[in-house]
Amino acid sequence: MGLSPYRRLKSLPMQSSSNFNQPKRRSVNLKNRLVQLGLMSVLFLLVAGCSKDGQSTWEAFGPVAQKQLDLFNVLLWVMVAVFIIVEGVLVYAIVRYRRRPGDAKPPQIHGNTSLEIILTIIPTILVLALGIWSVFTLFAIDKAPEDGPDPLQVNVTGHQWWFEFEYPDAGDGKKIITANEMRIPVDRPINISLESDDVIHSFWVPKLAGKLDMVPTHVNKMWFQADSDKITEDLPVTLYGQCAELCGLSHALMRFRVTVMEQNDFDSWVAAYGAPPAISDKAKAGQQLFAANCTLCHNIDGPDDPALSASRLTGFFSGGDITPVPAPNLTDLRTRQTLGAGITDLTEDNLHSWIRNPEDFKPGNYMSERAVLYQNGPASLTDDEIDSLIGYLLDLR
Amino acid sequence: MAAITGVIPRPTSYAGIWGWMTTVDHKRIAILYGVTAFIFMLIAGLEAGVIRMQLASADSNLVGPGRYNQMFTMHATTMVFMVIMPLSVSFFNFVIPLAIGARDVAFPRLNALSYWIFLFGGILMHMSFVVNQVPDAGWFSYANLSDKPFSLDRGLDYWAISLLVMGASSVAGALNFTVTIINMRAPGMTLMRMPVFVWMTLITSLLLVLAFPVITVGLLELVMDRNFGTHFFIPTEGGDPVLWQHLFWVFGHPEVYILILPAMGVVSEVLPTFSRKPLFGYPFIVFSGIVIGIMGWAVWSHHMFTVGLGPVANSVFTITTMLIAVPTGVKIFNWIGTLWKGSIEFTTAMMFALGFVALFIVGGLSGVSHAVSPSDFQQQDTYYIVAHIHYVLFGGSMFGLFAGAYYWWPKITGRMLNESLGRLHFWLTFIGMNLTFFPMHFLGLNGMPRRIYTYSSEFGWENLNALASLGYIVLFIAFLVFIHNIMYSRRSRRVTHDPWDAPGVEWTIASPPPPYNFAEIPQIQGRDHYWIVKENAIAAGTPITEPEALVDPSSIHMPSPSYWPLFTAIGVALIGGGLLSHYALSFVGGIITMMGVIGWGNEPVAAPSDHH
Repeated sequence: MGLSPYRRLKSLPMQSSSNFNQPKRRSVNLKNRLVQLGLMSVLFLLVAGCSKDGQSTWEAFGPVAQKQLDLFNVLLWVMVAVFIIVEGVLVYAIVRYRRRPGDAKPPQIHGNTSLEIILTIIPTILVLALGIWSVFTLFAIDKAPEDGPDPLQVNVTGHQWWFEFEYPDAGDGKKIITANEMRIPVDRPINISLESDDVIHSFWVPKLAGKLDMVPTHVNKMWFQADSDKITEDLPVTLYGQCAELCGLSHALMRFRVTVMEQNDFDSWVAAYGAPPAISDKAKAGQQLFAANCTLCHNIDGPDDPALSASRLTGFFSGGDITPVPAPNLTDLRTRQTLGAGITDLTEDNLHSWIRNPEDFKPGNYMSERAVLYQNGPASLTDDEIDSLIGYLLDLR
Repeated sequence: MAAITGVIPRPTSYAGIWGWMTTVDHKRIAILYGVTAFIFMLIAGLEAGVIRMQLASADSNLVGPGRYNQMFTMHATTMVFMVIMPLSVSFFNFVIPLAIGARDVAFPRLNALSYWIFLFGGILMHMSFVVNQVPDAGWFSYANLSDKPFSLDRGLDYWAISLLVMGASSVAGALNFTVTIINMRAPGMTLMRMPVFVWMTLITSLLLVLAFPVITVGLLELVMDRNFGTHFFIPTEGGDPVLWQHLFWVFGHPEVYILILPAMGVVSEVLPTFSRKPLFGYPFIVFSGIVIGIMGWAVWSHHMFTVGLGPVANSVFTITTMLIAVPTGVKIFNWIGTLWKGSIEFTTAMMFALGFVALFIVGGLSGVSHAVSPSDFQQQDTYYIVAHIHYVLFGGSMFGLFAGAYYWWPKITGRMLNESLGRLHFWLTFIGMNLTFFPMHFLGLNGMPRRIYTYSSEFGWENLNALASLGYIVLFIAFLVFIHNIMYSRRSRRVTHDPWDAPGVEWTIASPPPPYNFAEIPQIQGRDHYWIVKENAIAAGTPITEPEALVDPSSIHMPSPSYWPLFTAIGVALIGGGLLSHYALSFVGGIITMMGVIGWGNEPVAAPSDHH
């Protein structure tokens, strides 16, 4: 940014051909004031507008997001600098050369070729520098470094409107399938394969990495890692994620969480996953209700049977009222924090309202559209029945 | 058939409603385009209001997701295809023949046909509200969300078929202006003497002619997928939804320049006039426009950085997108160079043109940031993008078109828009625009995805959204001021033919111009023709105060009005309408179209009373 266009313009011959007699002081004062005002408002806006809360991109917890943020930060200051210079010259020209009574016709300048060439070369160098840096970053964040820790594979499938997470080997060869809440060990690269079951979705955890689309029949691959030295809070830490590609009615309600935990906490979660449920008496009735109404679509005792998944998929595309549709795996539901793809906290009250009428939470969801239970609107269950169902669901281990 | 289509004499009356319906006068067609697009703009503005009210607070359920998705889809579709494009075409129509010293466009009846097809296409699109099956998949309607079984009502059919209908209008209009500009320039109007607005119109027209076939292919495939059982975009049947994205953006990126180049042309007329200085670096502005028109074809995948094309493809489109910033920057430097050492008069037109430059810088810079693909992975599909498109399309295109409206209004109507109201309009628009769209940069960077109908209060997006909604109210008032100004101008004073002391050829003739435009085709003296003429006249001691004298219109051969453009357009509209209701109607429409074409071909050259 050494050569400001402003300085260049000033040193040009056209300056010397001036035939103006202006009250210089006034315009300089005005100019200074405008420049000050402009700088202050830009800085104020930058400070006031930025936030690291929620799913902000202003804070990076891993190498991929960090490289993206580093690039953006430099870019941002380049943009601010160019903005101030170019808008400054513009405002200066507007103020300085405003028409005053009795002005003569200004000099009829048609152009200045060397100035044009300089002002073409400067931005070309600038954008090419940014472009080349971008290309290097693109390749640098494309794949997890091979010399690092052993990566963990997670396959993510997008559904209208929830996320399915499959760990083919979460540890000791154990397969895990869960929904809407992803758990990852800290300081370990996570290799992610993205796919979609219906329309295009986009997988995005801003604090860990930029987004990548989930396209049906394409398998997109990305990776990220949560670094313990970047996370200031105590682990486990839960991060926000959200679908970023319009995917239909409840696109806004397609969210998820990523919980970053120590490797041994992660291992104990893996070990406990799908352990045979200890069902209390209260929950027995709920178990029967669940078996009668929910198991066509929802698995609750470990990873899905692949054949069953395939049949659900076919059934879904062929239509029909009671064919199974892909649905979140409910194994270990009690250990989750949220409900309905990250849209509300998992509490007994919320779960009750959800089971009563999911449409209130998530318009257009396939459960209220397809399940026999919801053929006439809200669930055809009594409050007690729903409570025993909740008892079963939240007792599950 | 000849009995129906051959012997109907051409209409003779220029008056009344039939005069407007059969007109082939480019100036009247310009007014039709302008009024129609303005009405669509009010509709799109109200849709934006629904969006902003829904988002004004967290966890809001004011209209709900279904209606919300319809609103942002129709807002963007309307603004792009039914407001900015036709408003630009309105200016093409009015200004181009006048600016190149011609009496009309090359194909006056085709020009009328373009308008009527556009009108019927727009009405067809809005019929979706009548049947309450409104398009709801966003303005780029990504397959396979827009395909069956995920979009089961007819909304997307209305969308695709109306766009196909309007595409016919755009291509016909673009061909017309290409031929007009190349063939109908007055003697002395060499290519490098053409006003920049004419240049930008030429480039825009060439882009349109080349880009619309691509979207037409995509739309036809979508319509066939949805109605006739093909599987172009259906993944489970072997189709590929990403194909749609390529087709859409190969059209869509040139389309971005189709939307902005006309406004750049307007600004390149307004800035010199009110700086009393010729355009700085004319050849650089022209060639940068041409370069944009060419490079615009090589950047489409920057809309698709997150689709997963891989680092190699993303690298290529990173570099090409970076480079297209250069010719755009060149234009901005030259506009500032035009102001430099000028004598700047702050008319409303000039303020909008200056506003255009100031806001387009912001949109251009955020545009460069999209080219940085790794960080774009974070910003893609967030409000950061929404902020960018509104800085280039509202701060850019709309400001440019407002500048053009204030600039050419006295030429079009012979009366002034009120300058005080105009200044109020400008400041309200400028403030409202920044209030609405600047916070969206931060919303996007703070993680708010676009196209979500609601958001949780835990994200901290409430304040900035409230600010944006407040800005909408300011913009709403600004539009009321503008409408009031238009009403006011009907009673305002008559103006001379050249109220701005402007350089363009169009200012040499009376305001409003007579139907034949030029009694005598002018001999163009140079790039700033009228400035040169006026200068010479002053030097000769006979300053020009009067426009070119009016003559008896019947002494000049002008194209007679015609029934056939409207007739043919009704046929085309029925073909589209039939695809949406009953196929038999399409056949009727096809027959009417054929009759229209035959009648068109057999039409007598002139009205019976008009022998020369």
